[in-house]
Amino acid sequence: MKIAVCGKGGSGKSTISGALARHLARQGHKVIALDCDPNPNLGISLGVPRESVESMSPILNALLDAGHTHKDPKIEAEVLLGRYGVDAPEGIRLVATGKIERPSNACLCCGSHNTTRQFFGELPADDRIVLADLEAGLNDLIWAKPGANDIVLAVTEGSAKSVEIARRACRLAEELGVARIIGIANRTVSDVDAKRIGEELSVEMFTVPEDRAVEDADHLGVAAMDADPSSPAMVAIGELAQLITR
Amino acid sequence: MGEPIELNKREAWAVQCMDRQLVVMEDLVARAADIRSWLALERQANSYARHLGTWLAKESIFPAARDRMRQHQSDLAGYAQRACDEVAGVDPDSLEAARAALGVRLAVIGKGGAGKTVTSSTLARLFAQNGRKVFAADLDVNPGLAISLGLPASEGGLPDGAIEEHPGSLYGWQLTGDMTPIEVVEKFAAVAPDDVRFLGLGKIGPASEGAGTDKSAAKQSVAALVHLLLGIGEPDWDVIADLEAGPTTPFERYHAFSEDVVVVVGPAWRSAMTARRLLPMVEDRRSIIVSNRFRDEPDHPGLAARFRIPFDPELAEVERQGLAPLDACPDSPAIVALTRLASLFMAPPGRRRPTSNQEVPV
Repeated sequence: MKIAVCGKGGSGKSTISGALARHLARQGHKVIALDCDPNPNLGISLGVPRESVESMSPILNALLDAGHTHKDPKIEAEVLLGRYGVDAPEGIRLVATGKIERPSNACLCCGSHNTTRQFFGELPADDRIVLADLEAGLNDLIWAKPGANDIVLAVTEGSAKSVEIARRACRLAEELGVARIIGIANRTVSDVDAKRIGEELSVEMFTVPEDRAVEDADHLGVAAMDADPSSPAMVAIGELAQLITR
Repeated sequence: MGEPIELNKREAWAVQCMDRQLVVMEDLVARAADIRSWLALERQANSYARHLGTWLAKESIFPAARDRMRQHQSDLAGYAQRACDEVAGVDPDSLEAARAALGVRLAVIGKGGAGKTVTSSTLARLFAQNGRKVFAADLDVNPGLAISLGLPASEGGLPDGAIEEHPGSLYGWQLTGDMTPIEVVEKFAAVAPDDVRFLGLGKIGPASEGAGTDKSAAKQSVAALVHLLLGIGEPDWDVIADLEAGPTTPFERYHAFSEDVVVVVGPAWRSAMTARRLLPMVEDRRSIIVSNRFRDEPDHPGLAARFRIPFDPELAEVERQGLAPLDACPDSPAIVALTRLASLFMAPPGRRRPTSNQEVPV
């Protein structure tokens, strides 16, 4: 199974992705977590130590160092996963597709998108779950190219801008032929909020409540799953994991 | 010597960019009428020169055009020197006053959701309320600035008449050569409340319209908009750009036009990590770290905020409704804080205007 998580910056993509990966792993699934953000930080929500997240070598830099051109990374995804992946808690394997660090770097953006496609599109799911935390916005969804058998999670918080991007992501996923699109109303403060968002997205909906424990963990740069796994948002994401694999 | 040099398409594009910069410089010279406009001209020459410097610094870029690039460097230095000469005899107080009255060149960067758009839009509107001409640009393919300015989300795309194809340009498109950048703003920008002029990357259509490919409106517009920003030398315009979240846009130097950079940081640790990744990319600018939405959390280590926008449920509600914060909650704590931030960029009232009685012709 492959799951693509998309939405506006700050909507909670990484928090949801990290906690969802942890819950899926706890259910006994083998999970590969892809951080497709050019500013990778998924490791935090997975429970990887902060220092490792900051220093993590993304595939793209490694490929450039090895002499590959940025548009043409030709090593098989499976090999890259073994070579550049990082172990996260509960047997999760984390890999970052690209990171931009210095103005002196060669252009990495196309490469970042291509690596996203290579990993999400071409890495066989087989008996495991590939979960991709996509770059903010819609571009990466086009690059990842989820298909009929994949799941797209469109994450949004309450702001009109965030809802609009999630709405566009849902329509785009429909056009790409994705059979299962789930809208995640994140950090909702009321049922009215969740209902309004559901009407906008008009897809299967799931609600994750506002949760101070998550905010506190976010501030410290630790996984909410480690800080307080019984907090309302973490429990909700556990239910989401059940819903997805049922 | 003297033989025509073969330029590839990228080099031909670079040469055309330099030609167009000279047109902008000559336009500024022709209209320079007071101390402030000569200072603006000097700033514009230096701004172009700094951008050229990023090309010159890379040996591999535009090899066949390097002689021209060095010539251009010398031309720009000539304009800067001429401006210096023009103001050479001016007393320091008048010079300082004129400098303080120069329009702002501001880029706003940070992680997604940090609060870039509310910051950019509110500053733009406040500058305009203070009597400035303001151009605000959204360099994010996911439009948000229009909404926060008080415009419909669909407004402000660059029309066909403002862009043209060039095989050597980024994504194959560039700003039209028929007009100077400021003329494009005056002709095509959407008019937002308080008379703020606004342009964005246009709307990403459905996948079938080529979103994510070189044919998308955003890809066609982005190089044009970046060069448009870089080419506004007018002293009486404030220019503000809201950059797409994260490191890609500063990495691509979309902030090349700016003198000041606001880095917005939220309370989450990953927002601080983003800021730490961004700051080296803008180290040659004056940067201000603005913390947003903190409650009682301390500043992130190594990222002391120079300015603070407090956590504000009233603003969050206005964001839920998709309204312009300055209209919907002007007295909320966050907007009051942003009003103070705006005043940081605006000189004291007595020094707003040029000392010369002669206004800059438009």
